[in-house]
Amino acid sequence: MLVKRNAGTAATRASLARRLNGLSAGTAGLGETVDRRGFLKTSGLAAGGMAALGALPAAMIQKAEAGPTLPNVEVVTRKNVCTHCSVGCTVIAEVQNGVWTGQEPGWESPISQGAHCAKGASVRELTKGERRVKYPMKLVDGQWQRISWDQAIEEIGNKLLEIRQQSGPDATFWLGSAKFSNEGAYLFRKLAAFWGTNNVDHQARICHSTTVAGVANTWGYGAMTNSYNDIQNSKALLIIGGNPAEAHPVSLPHMLRGKEHNRAPFIVIDPRFTRTAAHATDYVRIRPGTDIPVTWGILWHIFENGWEDKEYIRQRVYGMDEVRAEVKKWDPATVERVSGVPGEQLYRVAEALAKNRPSTVIWCMGITQKTTGTANVRALSILQLALGNIGTAGGGANIYRGHCNVQGATDFGLDVSTLPSYYGLAEGAWKHFCRVWDVDYDWMKSRFSSKELMEAKGIPTTRWFDGVTYKPEEIQQPSPLKAMVVFGHGGNTVTRMPEMLKGLEQLSLLVIADPHPTTFAAFKERRNGTYILPACTQFETDGSRTCSNRSVQWGEKVVEPIFESKDDYTIIYLLARKFGFADEMFKHITVEQTRPVPEDILREINRGCLSTGYTGQSPERLKMHMKHQADFDKITMQATSGPLKGEYYGLPWPCWGHPELRHPGCAVLYDTSKHVMEGGGVFRARFGVERNGVSLLADGSYSKGSEIEDGYPEFTMAMLRKLGWDKDLTAEEMRVIQAIGGDKVDEVSWQTDLSMGIIRVAMKHGCVPHGNAKARAVAWNLPDPVPLHREPIYSPRPELVKEYPAIEDRRDYRLPQLARSLQFKIADSDIRQRFPFILTSGRLVEYEGGGEETRSNPWLAELQQSMFVEINPKDAERLGIRDGGMVWVYGPEDNSKARMRALVTERIGAGTVFMPFHFSGYWQGNSLRENYPPGTDPIVLGEPANGVTTYGYDPMTFMQETKVTLCRVEPA
Amino acid sequence: MHRDEKPKAAKTGLERRSLLKGLGLGAAGAAAAAAALRAAPAEAMESRQEQVKSRYRETDHVKRFYALNRL
Amino acid sequence: MARMKFLCDAERCIECNACVTACKNEHDIPWGINRRRVITLKDGVPGERSISMACMHCNDPPCAAVCPVDCFYQTADGVVLHSKDLCIGCGYCFYACPFGAPQYPQATNFGGRGKMDKCTFCTGGPEADNTMEEYQKYGTNRLAEGKLPLCAEMCSTRALMAGDGDVLADIYKERTVRRGYGSGAWGWSTAYGQNDRGDAFSPGREGTGGS
Repeated sequence: MLVKRNAGTAATRASLARRLNGLSAGTAGLGETVDRRGFLKTSGLAAGGMAALGALPAAMIQKAEAGPTLPNVEVVTRKNVCTHCSVGCTVIAEVQNGVWTGQEPGWESPISQGAHCAKGASVRELTKGERRVKYPMKLVDGQWQRISWDQAIEEIGNKLLEIRQQSGPDATFWLGSAKFSNEGAYLFRKLAAFWGTNNVDHQARICHSTTVAGVANTWGYGAMTNSYNDIQNSKALLIIGGNPAEAHPVSLPHMLRGKEHNRAPFIVIDPRFTRTAAHATDYVRIRPGTDIPVTWGILWHIFENGWEDKEYIRQRVYGMDEVRAEVKKWDPATVERVSGVPGEQLYRVAEALAKNRPSTVIWCMGITQKTTGTANVRALSILQLALGNIGTAGGGANIYRGHCNVQGATDFGLDVSTLPSYYGLAEGAWKHFCRVWDVDYDWMKSRFSSKELMEAKGIPTTRWFDGVTYKPEEIQQPSPLKAMVVFGHGGNTVTRMPEMLKGLEQLSLLVIADPHPTTFAAFKERRNGTYILPACTQFETDGSRTCSNRSVQWGEKVVEPIFESKDDYTIIYLLARKFGFADEMFKHITVEQTRPVPEDILREINRGCLSTGYTGQSPERLKMHMKHQADFDKITMQATSGPLKGEYYGLPWPCWGHPELRHPGCAVLYDTSKHVMEGGGVFRARFGVERNGVSLLADGSYSKGSEIEDGYPEFTMAMLRKLGWDKDLTAEEMRVIQAIGGDKVDEVSWQTDLSMGIIRVAMKHGCVPHGNAKARAVAWNLPDPVPLHREPIYSPRPELVKEYPAIEDRRDYRLPQLARSLQFKIADSDIRQRFPFILTSGRLVEYEGGGEETRSNPWLAELQQSMFVEINPKDAERLGIRDGGMVWVYGPEDNSKARMRALVTERIGAGTVFMPFHFSGYWQGNSLRENYPPGTDPIVLGEPANGVTTYGYDPMTFMQETKVTLCRVEPA
Repeated sequence: MHRDEKPKAAKTGLERRSLLKGLGLGAAGAAAAAAALRAAPAEAMESRQEQVKSRYRETDHVKRFYALNRL
Repeated sequence: MARMKFLCDAERCIECNACVTACKNEHDIPWGINRRRVITLKDGVPGERSISMACMHCNDPPCAAVCPVDCFYQTADGVVLHSKDLCIGCGYCFYACPFGAPQYPQATNFGGRGKMDKCTFCTGGPEADNTMEEYQKYGTNRLAEGKLPLCAEMCSTRALMAGDGDVLADIYKERTVRRGYGSGAWGWSTAYGQNDRGDAFSPGREGTGGS
C-alpha cells in the first residue's frame, strides 16, 4: 500500500514529459533537472540548500545555486532508526549521489508508523554535519591541532600503554555510549576486558541503572515488560516521574490511543505540570523525592479496599505480607504530611488503577535519578504485582529508556558490574566469555592487575572524577584514574560539575571519540593531552539497536562517514590493533581492512548472550524484519502474514535458542497465557528455590503448555537428567556440554551451554529455561529489602530527616559513599535557609542528553535558543524576577552558580524550580565558545544544569541524584 | 524566555547563514554562468491554467495517511 | 472536488515540533523563517492545549485581497500560492493574515523585507512542478507527487492532519465520538460557559458540547 519512492519518480517523469511537450529544445537541459534535490550535489555537502530560500533575493538564488544537475539522479532509499530516543522510529532516508537529500515517513514501522518528533524529523541534518568534528585533533598548549588518524592512534596508544605499564590497567576509564549500536557496545565492553579493567560504563548509569537493578531484583530482567504499542491495551495509565510528551513523543500516539479507545484514566504524578500532564485526566503534584510515600499511599488504599489480586499474589509473588506491614504506616494523613498529596486524590488514583485493569505504570528518570532510585523502582514494581498487572497485555511496568540504544548497551555490559548479558563478573562469567571469545582464561586473567580486581565492580561514570581526585588510599584499586577514553558521551551529564572539572584537569590523557567535541573539550582547564577523534553517527554505519521494548532493529548505512570520521567498530579495532591484541579480540569476527563487520559481531553475540535470549536475533532475521515491517500488527506487533508470520517485530528479547528454532521473541514478558515457543514466559528463578523454609518457586502458575505444571528452578544438566529429558539432547549438543562441564557436567546450565541444547530441550517440554519462580516483593539482598522512604541528602524538609534518614555511609564501587552523615550535617546547618528552593531537572523535546549534537542542529537549535529556569509566579514576584530576565542560580556545593533566563510559569509549583539538562558551553556566566575547536561549537550554548547539582547516590548503582537538591535564585 | 517564543535569527544563526552564502557561491559559481545560458526562468513557468489545476490525488500513499489517522 | 485543509486536533497535539522541523527538512528552510509553528495556550496550567499553525489556505484569503501586485492565486484544490517573482515584499499580506503565516527573509533599515515566504501546502509555486526553479523558490511539490504535506505525514501523535477536508472532518468526528466528549472548540467556554464544553479531565463522562 505504501507508495515506494520509485512510484514518486514515475510521477515526476510524467510531469517532465508533459512539460517537454510544450517546450523548445533549448530548455531540455533544464528540463532534465527534474529531480528536486539533485542540485545539492553541486554544493557537495548540501549546505548550499540551506541558503536557497529567503536569505537571498530570488534572482541571486538562481545564479548561486542552479548548477547543472544530473538528469534523473537515482534515488536510493535506506531504512535506519532514529538515534534520539528509545522509541525506535523508523527513518526512511533518500540518498542521491551519496548525499542524504530527503526523508519520508516510515509508515510501515509497527512502532512509529511514520511519526517523528522534532528530533526525528531533523536527523538528516546530522549527516550534513556543519558543526561536526571533521578530522582528528589534539590539544597543544591550549590550541587545537589537526593531526592524521595514524598519528592520533599512535600517540593515544603509546600514552595509554605507558599509563597501563606504570599504573596498571585500572588507571584508564573507558566510557562507552548508549549511542553505540549493539555491536559497538559489545565490542567496547570486550575491548575493556582485553585491556584488563572493569572501569567501563555508559549512560545507563545515569538514566535507568536503578530500574535495571530494581526490576531485575524483583522479577528477573531489567527492562520494560511490555511495549509502547501495548499501552493501547491499557485500561488505565499511571505516568510517574516521566514526561514522555517531551522525552518520548512517539510513545504518545500509543498512550493517547489507549486513553481514547479505552476511555482510560490517564494519571500523571510529577512535581511539574508537564506537557504530558496537559493530556492527563488526573494530575497529582508531589514534592520531589517522595515517590515511595506516594506509591505506598496508593497501595494503602488498594490494600484497605481489598483491591489487590489475591490469587496472583499467592501464586506468583513472594513476601507481599512484609510490604503490607510497611504500607500500613502510610495512611493518607502521613502521606499528605510527607508528600503534600491529599489523601482523597490518591484514593481516586488507586481506584482508577484497581477498577480499570489491566493498568500500566510508566516511569522515567523522575523515579530513577534519586538516592532512593532502586527502592522507588521496586515500590512501583510491587504496586503492579499487587494489582496482578505484570505478565499481561495492557499491564506491565512500561519503563521508558532514554537513548536510542541504552537498552542494548546495558544488555551488552557497558557496565562496571557485569560482562555482556548480565553474566556478572564472577569467575564462571569470565570463563563463559573466554569460551565465547575463544581465548584462554588464564591469559585473560593476566590482563588484569589481580583476579580480585577482575571480579570487582569498577568505578561508575557518575563518580569517575572522584576516582581521579580522591586520595589513592580511598580508592580500592592500585592507582587513581589517569586516563579517560570517552565515546559518545557528553561531559555535562554528571552532577557536581565543579568537582568534575578538577578531575578533568588532573587526567594525564583524555580521548574523546564523538561526532561532536562535547563539553569535555570545551573547558580550558586542560591545555595538553586531549585528543578528539571524529566518530560518525549511526546513520553512517550499520548495526542493530534495541528499543525500550526490547525489539532489535537493524539500521542500514545511509551515507558513508562524512569528513574523516570513522565508525565505532573501526576506531575500536584501530585501538585494539595498536594495543597488540586485535588478532585475539577479532578471532571470529571478519575485519574488512580495518572495519570489523557488524554482522559477524552480532553472530558472536548470538553465540554467547544466552542469559537474556539474545541468541535468536541473527542479522539475517533482523534484516528480514526491517524489510517486512508492513506485515506486523500495529498493536500486538506480531506478523499476521508474510514470511515472518507469528514472529514479534524486532524479536524482542528473550528470543530463545538458535535462530533456526525461529522463536518469535517476547512482546510481553512473563506472560503465562502463551506457550514459551510463542513468546510466553514466567518470572525468572534467579534467587534460589527457597528462603527461610518458604518456597520461592511459583505456586501452581506456569506458562501455557508447560509439562511441569508448577514452579521449577532454572535448567541445568542435573535437572535435565532428573527429569529424564537429557535423552532429548543431540550427540553434538552433548559433546559441547561435556566439553564445557568437564568433570562437572551437571553444573552446566542453560546460561553456559553454548550448544543451546538445554534451552531447546526445556522449551520442547514447554518450559522456560530460566525456571519459574515468584517475583520478589521482598528483595533481601538490597539495602532496603522492602522499599523505605528516605529523605534526599539535601532535604527541603530537615525536620523529616531524623524520621526518614538516608542509608548509613558505606563503601562500594571502589569508593566511599557518604549518605546519612552528610544528610544530617546538612539538615543541622543553615543550608535550607540559604538555599530555599528545591531544584529539579528534566528534558526538552528539542534536545537530547548533554545536547551537543542537537544544539548543533540548526533546525532544532532555532526552536530553543536559551537555557532557562522555570519559576513559579509567586516566587518570581517575591524576588523581583521578570519573565525572560536573567537570574543567577546558586548551588550549595563548591560555591557553584549558573546564569540563565527565568521562565516564570505555573508549570512548576511554588518553592520548586526546574531546569532542563541539555545545555552546556557556558560556565558561571562566561561563554566557552572560543574553547571549542574552530567550527565545532554548537549553535546554542547555555549553562549546564549540573553546574549546580549536588552529592547524592543510590546505594545499589551509584545513580546520581539530579531530581532533588536545593538552590537559591536571584535576579542577575 | 518563553518557550513558545521563537526569537528571530540569533547572532549565531546569522553568522552561519553568511558562511553558507559563501559556500554556495563558491561551489556553484563556476557552473552558474553556464546554467544561466540554459535557464530562462520564464520558460519554466506554468500557464495560469496549469498553475491552478488540481494536483491532489487520492493515491495509496494518501489513503495510507488517512488510515493511520483513523487508528 | 476535494478541498485541501489542515486540521490540528488539540487533544492530540503535544507541541513536539515535529511538524516544524519536518517542514524545515523538506524545504531546506533557513533560520528565522517559520512556515509552521506550534502555538500553546494556557501554557503550564490545566487546560493547556497546543495547536500547529501555518498558512490555513483560506477559502477567501485576505492576503490575496490586499496584495497590491496580485501575486496570490488559489489552485483548484484550494491551496493558496503566490509568485515570488511578482511579490514586492510590501508586507500587506502579513497585516491581513489572521494566522501570521507570511514570513520575510530580510529586515533592513529601509523597510525591505525580501520576497514573502509561506507554507505552500507542499505544492510549490507557479513554476513547473518539481523543477529546480520551483524547489529553490518554494520548496518541494509533494501534492504533485501524490503525497501530502510532510508536517502532517510525520506528526508524532497524528494531531496535525492534512488532505481532503471532508475526509479530515470525518476522521475528527470519529475521534470525538470515541472520546465521548466535545471538541473543546476554541472560545466555546467563553461564549457558552464551562458546562457545555465537555470535559477533557473526565473522559468517559457523557460529552455535551462541541461534538
